[in-house]
Amino acid sequence: MQTKTQTWRETPLKSIKDMTMAELAAFVQASLRDKGIDVVLSGGACVSIYSGGKYVSMDIDLVNNRFATRREIRYVMRELGFEEQGRHFIHPDTDLFVEFPPGPLSVGQEPVKEVEEIEVGTGLLRIISPTDCVKDRLAAYYHWNDLQCLEQAVLVAEAKAIDLDEVERWSRVEGKLGEFRAILNRLAGGGT
Amino acid sequence: MLEPLLGSKNAERTLIYLLVRREGYAREIARFFGSDPDSIHKQLVKLEAGGVLVARPVGRTRVYSFNPRYPFLKQLKALLEKALTFYSLEERESLALCRRRPRRGGKPL
Repeated sequence: MQTKTQTWRETPLKSIKDMTMAELAAFVQASLRDKGIDVVLSGGACVSIYSGGKYVSMDIDLVNNRFATRREIRYVMRELGFEEQGRHFIHPDTDLFVEFPPGPLSVGQEPVKEVEEIEVGTGLLRIISPTDCVKDRLAAYYHWNDLQCLEQAVLVAEAKAIDLDEVERWSRVEGKLGEFRAILNRLAGGGT
Repeated sequence: MLEPLLGSKNAERTLIYLLVRREGYAREIARFFGSDPDSIHKQLVKLEAGGVLVARPVGRTRVYSFNPRYPFLKQLKALLEKALTFYSLEERESLALCRRRPRRGGKPL
């Protein structure tokens, strides 16, 4: 798996109550990484980050990229002050909650090949790329006709450079080329 | 058939049922196989947590189906289809035969 690094911003370490979503995700990732647990940010939080907050998500999905057990993750999260509530982890100092969807890190039928690394105030944020974020949202649109996810994909495509050829190739693999062509104008910024 | 791989007879039953009928809920699956509903429910919950299945609420029931975003779905279904060929004709027919069309309320049998 390749990684790409870009500078985000540098701020001093904050308390959890002052952390942005990206900072909290990076903070949790760093703590897990210290224990040899690799997790990558995926899902709606990526839309929120890449769209510059045009979409708001309170859910930090950190995909368990290897084979860390729930017990190992729970141990680290409790050390950070999080409490397990069902499948989520909550913290008294933030409204954001953390979830660990099962791996492997994938978009539809394919593994994620490239993870972006963005420097934030609390460390390195490992996050799926904008193009994979669009594919991730489109997977929900393609398979469940989830129009909210289509709108989220469009928000990311409007804010970030997307490899539309790659999205088209992936859509073909998913058996959804017709659906991709129907929305291509929207992803390319051509409106409805 | 796949018990050594899946670790449980009820996991296989659950997946085979969903392969053929596309969706199902714990009590329905348990009734079909004559299994313990709690055991089937545990398998459904485990498979959902693992991303293999998804569930949607229908009234107070959670109806499960395969997760179309599960990266190994195609391969898993191929394996289950192969396993299904080893089931007896009677079992396969019984799995496949179920009413899915709507029934008008109050219609006499």
